[in-house]
Amino acid sequence: MPSHEVVVVGAGLAGQRAALAAVEAGRDVALVSKLHPLRSHSGAAQGGINAAVGAEDSVDAHIFDTVKGSDYLGDQDAIEFFCREAGPTVVEMEHFGTIFSRSEDGALARRPFGGAHFPRTVYAADRTGLALLQALWERLGSERFTLYDEWDLTRVVVREGAVQGIVAFDRKGGEFAEIAAKSVVLATGPAGRIYAKTTNAHSCTGDGIAAAYDAGAALKDLEFVQFHPTALLESSILITEGARGEGGLLKNRSGERFMSRYAPHVLELASRDVVSRAIVTEVAEGRGFSGPYGGYVNLELMHLGEERIESRLTEICDYARRFAGIDPVKEPIPVYPAQHYMMGGIGTDIHGATSVPGLFAAGEAACVSIHGANRLGGNSLLETLVFGKQAGLAAAAHAERASAPSLRASDLEEATAPLRAWSSRKDGEDPSLLRAEMQQAMAVHAGIYRNEADMLEGLRKVRALKQRFENVRVVDQSGVYNLNLTDALETGHMLELAEVILVGAYARTESRGAHARTDYPKRDDARWMRHTIAERSPDGPKLSYTPVAVTSYQPTERVY
Amino acid sequence: MAEATVSVPLEVYRFQPGRDRVPRYQRYTVELTPHTPVLSALLRVRAEIDPTLSLRYSCRSAICGSCAMQINSKSRLACETPVGPEIERHGRIVVEPMANQPVVRDLVVNQKPFWDRYESIEPHLKPDPDHPMPVGRPTSMSPQEVERFHDTPRCIACASCYSACPAVGADPEFPGPMALAKLYRFVVDPRDGGHQDRLVRIQASGLWLCLRCHLCTDSCPKNVRPSERIRDLKEMAIAVQGATEAGSRHAVGFKENLKGAGLLNEMRLARATLGLGGFAGQLGQGIRLWRKKPEVARRPHPIEGMAELDQIYAALDKGDEK
Repeated sequence: MPSHEVVVVGAGLAGQRAALAAVEAGRDVALVSKLHPLRSHSGAAQGGINAAVGAEDSVDAHIFDTVKGSDYLGDQDAIEFFCREAGPTVVEMEHFGTIFSRSEDGALARRPFGGAHFPRTVYAADRTGLALLQALWERLGSERFTLYDEWDLTRVVVREGAVQGIVAFDRKGGEFAEIAAKSVVLATGPAGRIYAKTTNAHSCTGDGIAAAYDAGAALKDLEFVQFHPTALLESSILITEGARGEGGLLKNRSGERFMSRYAPHVLELASRDVVSRAIVTEVAEGRGFSGPYGGYVNLELMHLGEERIESRLTEICDYARRFAGIDPVKEPIPVYPAQHYMMGGIGTDIHGATSVPGLFAAGEAACVSIHGANRLGGNSLLETLVFGKQAGLAAAAHAERASAPSLRASDLEEATAPLRAWSSRKDGEDPSLLRAEMQQAMAVHAGIYRNEADMLEGLRKVRALKQRFENVRVVDQSGVYNLNLTDALETGHMLELAEVILVGAYARTESRGAHARTDYPKRDDARWMRHTIAERSPDGPKLSYTPVAVTSYQPTERVY
Repeated sequence: MAEATVSVPLEVYRFQPGRDRVPRYQRYTVELTPHTPVLSALLRVRAEIDPTLSLRYSCRSAICGSCAMQINSKSRLACETPVGPEIERHGRIVVEPMANQPVVRDLVVNQKPFWDRYESIEPHLKPDPDHPMPVGRPTSMSPQEVERFHDTPRCIACASCYSACPAVGADPEFPGPMALAKLYRFVVDPRDGGHQDRLVRIQASGLWLCLRCHLCTDSCPKNVRPSERIRDLKEMAIAVQGATEAGSRHAVGFKENLKGAGLLNEMRLARATLGLGGFAGQLGQGIRLWRKKPEVARRPHPIEGMAELDQIYAALDKGDEK
């Protein structure tokens, strides 16, 4: 059985940064991922990474904007740490070789982003995630560690209150296997594929969040789901906030810049929850356009001129042309909000530690919380690197003191027996059918606007799907690259998390950030300025609440 | 009104080494709008007809590089190749795994050799002892310096170029177009301390195996244009070190050879490429050739328009690229 001191699951920016920190601390490190590291979803991030490096800007302004953006649910002590690390983190990535866009004076170019007082978003055209991912993989690639690529995580093994390792499915080898570890870091990204319309990759199925929940770790604030205002209609492919940062305008059917009614001071550059609700409202009240793929509004870039559009928004030009048949230089891009980001995740402190000794988490799979109820654009890439490093350091330190892991053959047997039953069954439902029904249910019942009756109906549907999942069938009898099995694993993970999202959202009787309830339209600080904690129990998610850390900024009304 | 759907006839390569004796092509038909990408067609097959079909995919927006495959014999990303034009041109959509990589199952190939060749060019910044990174602040780099990378930072490592490249299949020493485009990215990086070493090393190990067929550039979904960057590397390698290899000597010899007459003198070119020793080794073949075609040994007469060619050479030697 392979054994490592630190096993990092997920090889996007957070996982790679954690692995680098643990390797540099002298630990024997394994990096496990369902994708080759360079194919991770971090590479799809477009707009940029926030750091208050401009002369007019300040770390304090970054802190305030993040607190306000979070609708006062972000922990202010964590946000302070996060924003102070921003400058050094961006400099480090530049020194690793990231090819950032530059201004004429040779400095890092910056663009304005939603919810930020100053142009604070450092970028590499509109492929910042790819630029960072390449540079970090180049840096990590010159270190010694073991890569297990195209392995699906199925379980984190916890015994006697501590992590012992993981069980995973080796796609190419076609077998389940155990990897023993003193510390496990989960950096497996989000579960956006719970929703029918999402900007997330197909691989974003919350495997690590579900494995942590299964292992007894506390999940935090999962009901806060961000919808990005501007996705292409049919495919839900992301059109970066950088498009508005560069001066793009949102217009309704009568050509009105409707954001002037929702965010009179900053219009298109309000925070994402505000812009998404505005678009949904415009369409619902008949002021949007309608087409074969539903209602939409227009994102106009034409006035920026061909040169600026092509050079700074290269990738989205390609996307609009290839995936929507639209040339952004000549015509507006039809857009509508789509699921984009999970503010919640595996609850951690600023060192990535979860409620289970030896288990750490970072990146979008984790919730520190710095994003609170709504994340600002440009803060997620920063989060992966800042807290990926912290989790790697903490995992390395834990591994140094922890005793040898005790993983047994029976652990593998116990973890995989139910999964192997899926393949031996003679009848049962295909996982993709259950997944499609879940995605529809979540889109309808846990979307941008929520209410009690809708969510109860959604919960009923998701629980019925969980029942049906008990009888899921994997038809493919081959071991090697059996995606039918992967489908079933992922669907099982997402159904667990869909239930947690709904239960948390149903209980939270207020509107805050991305959680907007038509039956409770106001923020309720007296009752709800606290984090939702969800832990697994035989009767479903068990909820409890913890206070929000407030240092400098008392909550006030949030106006953009 | 929703767009009308068309019948999409797919013929998909199915094979699992060790289990199947030979590959087979399986036919599936799905109803989709013409602008639907091939990837969506394959996922529709997986969800509704045959969950045993195996392929790599993730982002569905041409940024993760997972879903490169051969679609009607051309290496492309399935997520950005619409079904309509394929059906119009070919009547059907034949989907096969990428070439130059062994099949794991169906459309999934073993990419280890591809990644190994990528690693062979040492893809990481090397410290420059003369210009250490500034402490606590980013390196200063002008927008013009960033432009020198051309489109190489757009590479998503999809391996479409690696699949299309005839030299990759012919010679395991050839790093392949993607790795060479990546090498170029480090060579032009003002932060990298390894410029000269990188050029000297690559001139001796694989650079000149490129056949200049440009199939890599043709197949690249991100406009990285590897063949143009390989050309740049060749020029830079000669500039740094002179022509040290048969390949570079051939290129320089070719240029010099055309001077004066505008036609090739084959004997002189062979001597320039192979050096005196190598040329002597080829003497037997040269004599046989000379018996059949005595003109190969003669100095060619200048072509018509030689004056114009002389002007081009004069400009070239002055370094005027226009």
